[in-house]
Amino acid sequence: MSDAAPAGFSARAEQAIADARLQGALDNVTALFGSRRAAAFASLPNADAVRDAARAARLNAVAHLGEYLERFEAKLQGNGARVHWAETPAEANAIIVKIAKDTGCARAVKSKSMVSEETHLNAALEAVGVTPVETDLGEYIVQLANDRPSHIIAPIIHLTRQDVGRVMEQRLRVPYTDDTQRLCATARTRLRGEFLRADMGISGANFGVVDTGTIVLVTNEGNGRMVTTMPRVHVVLMGIEKLVETLADLDACLKVLARSGTGQQLTVYTTMVSGPRRPGDADGPDELHVVLLDNGRSRILAGETAEILGCIRCGACLNVCPVYRNIGGHAYGDTYPGPVGAVVTPGLRGLEPWRDLPHASSLCGACREVCPVRLDIPRMLLALRRDVADARLQPQSLALAMRAFAWTASRPAFYRAASRVMRAWLRVRAHDGWITALPGLARGWTQSRDFRAPAAKTFQERWQERAR
Amino acid sequence: MSDARARILARVRAAQRTGFVPIAQPFRAADTEAGLKACATDELLARFLRELTAIGVEPFVEPTAEGVRARVAQLVGDSAVLRWDADCLPYGAGDRLAHAADGASPRDVQAAAVFGVTGCDAAIAETGSLALITGRGKPRAASLLPPTHIAIVRPDQLRQTMGEFFRERAAELAVAANCTFVTGPSRTADIELTLTLGVHGPGRVVVIIGPEE
Repeated sequence: MSDAAPAGFSARAEQAIADARLQGALDNVTALFGSRRAAAFASLPNADAVRDAARAARLNAVAHLGEYLERFEAKLQGNGARVHWAETPAEANAIIVKIAKDTGCARAVKSKSMVSEETHLNAALEAVGVTPVETDLGEYIVQLANDRPSHIIAPIIHLTRQDVGRVMEQRLRVPYTDDTQRLCATARTRLRGEFLRADMGISGANFGVVDTGTIVLVTNEGNGRMVTTMPRVHVVLMGIEKLVETLADLDACLKVLARSGTGQQLTVYTTMVSGPRRPGDADGPDELHVVLLDNGRSRILAGETAEILGCIRCGACLNVCPVYRNIGGHAYGDTYPGPVGAVVTPGLRGLEPWRDLPHASSLCGACREVCPVRLDIPRMLLALRRDVADARLQPQSLALAMRAFAWTASRPAFYRAASRVMRAWLRVRAHDGWITALPGLARGWTQSRDFRAPAAKTFQERWQERAR
Repeated sequence: MSDARARILARVRAAQRTGFVPIAQPFRAADTEAGLKACATDELLARFLRELTAIGVEPFVEPTAEGVRARVAQLVGDSAVLRWDADCLPYGAGDRLAHAADGASPRDVQAAAVFGVTGCDAAIAETGSLALITGRGKPRAASLLPPTHIAIVRPDQLRQTMGEFFRERAAELAVAANCTFVTGPSRTADIELTLTLGVHGPGRVVVIIGPEE
């Protein structure tokens, strides 16, 4: 990934829509996760109250972020952890590179961390000769294939098992197989060696608990436990917004996170790290470092999309989004795909290069419906669209058309006359009552759908006739 | 980097004053746990067993301490074992595993174990989870490295919810380095959404529930 927005959101979207295999995979994953999510919430008593509690937990933390960050830092330090602050991805990477040098670490293992993808940490570590090995199975394949993840919790839904078999054959020099169990067994064996040899474990954080100074990680495979247990140095890279105040808050968030993501009650491993190993502990890291990254989050907090900082990265909004379901994760062009990405990416990376993303939504509201913390994503997308218009970032032709419409719509007599002309013109163009193609600017409307021809008389005309 | 800290906190504080974060109603734990009644141990046990089965754990209920010891011995046979220290295992289960590796063993010996035998610090009935708090004599590796994890649970360790466990054990959690909830065998569905067990952690989890002591 480059630092600038890759050009052509529309081009990427069209490419994804034309990819029949990707379409099939997207249908499968989004339908499966969707139905599992529904079943998982059905088994939760008081689901609405729990979602309210999770929302309150996250938004309370975001609203008191300054105070909570200081308390969190003090608790972590009291627990024996070292806390580092980074304003930019480059600073975060430099801090982690320095930790590796200072502690003499040469081999690193990583459990899935979206923030490290935001900072391109792997490239920074490779540049100083420390090759971090991704250990989440999907992310491991992504790394071997030199690819990019396409879903928050199912990173390689765009690949088939045959693709995975070929990647392992080429990169690991093992015999080709497309048997999923054997592919997983190969990964287990390879990565087990990495876990046992690594000096440094790098993880993200699903939550940070302010009251206890605890980093919380959830994984299903157990790589999160390995990374936080086996190497002698554990480095956590987390965004500053990931806090909850209390263990009760954490409880509410955990109740909704896995249900929303994979449809489980709880992920297999919920790991709560509150410091390096204590005297007498048989294992665990000697050092715990926590790197708190801002990278635009404080800027988001100061604007109308501040609510998005409450996101717990479950991925539920992806699975229900009619746009994501058609274009997949890569088309969004950056670390965070789907409706959440359409809000987060312009916030973190700047609106100008990412101005297409707020428009990658039909505003149907499905994301708001499923969001476990009830984030009003459509409201935020609209706010960003307004910002795009205010900053005159949209195409000239659209701005002109909108101004023309505003002029017409605010002059009733002219509006009525214009709509009469337009109606007559559209009715001439119609075939069997349908309009299938429009010229010029309006072409986009009819490229993938047909319109009913307008009625001979408007509702208002008929109403007036009736009143007579 | 302390400059970065000061600048980030200053920006965050200034941003908070803009008031863009929606206000959410504070909640009480009682709201989210309404409808949950205090349960008798046998009700908790029934729920725990149901959840264990649902997530693919093999449960055994042994009416005597000797039954627990015999079950462990029968499961592990002659295979290499990595276990918690004997005084951390209930029902004297460690006595039958005198030659097993423990937290003090070299890592390659630990990594070669076929069975990991542990106790637990609590068992959560609602989710079928085992809570494991780190401490002296309780290596994390025993529930992580071997392909099979055997956990021995006392009925009085059963709690209905994770929230209840957090309320009771907050002080302990604040000082321990690590607390892990194990909810079933290690799993992945990353490749074509096909479920595969044991990708990094144990692919087989056995829970033995003994008698009231």
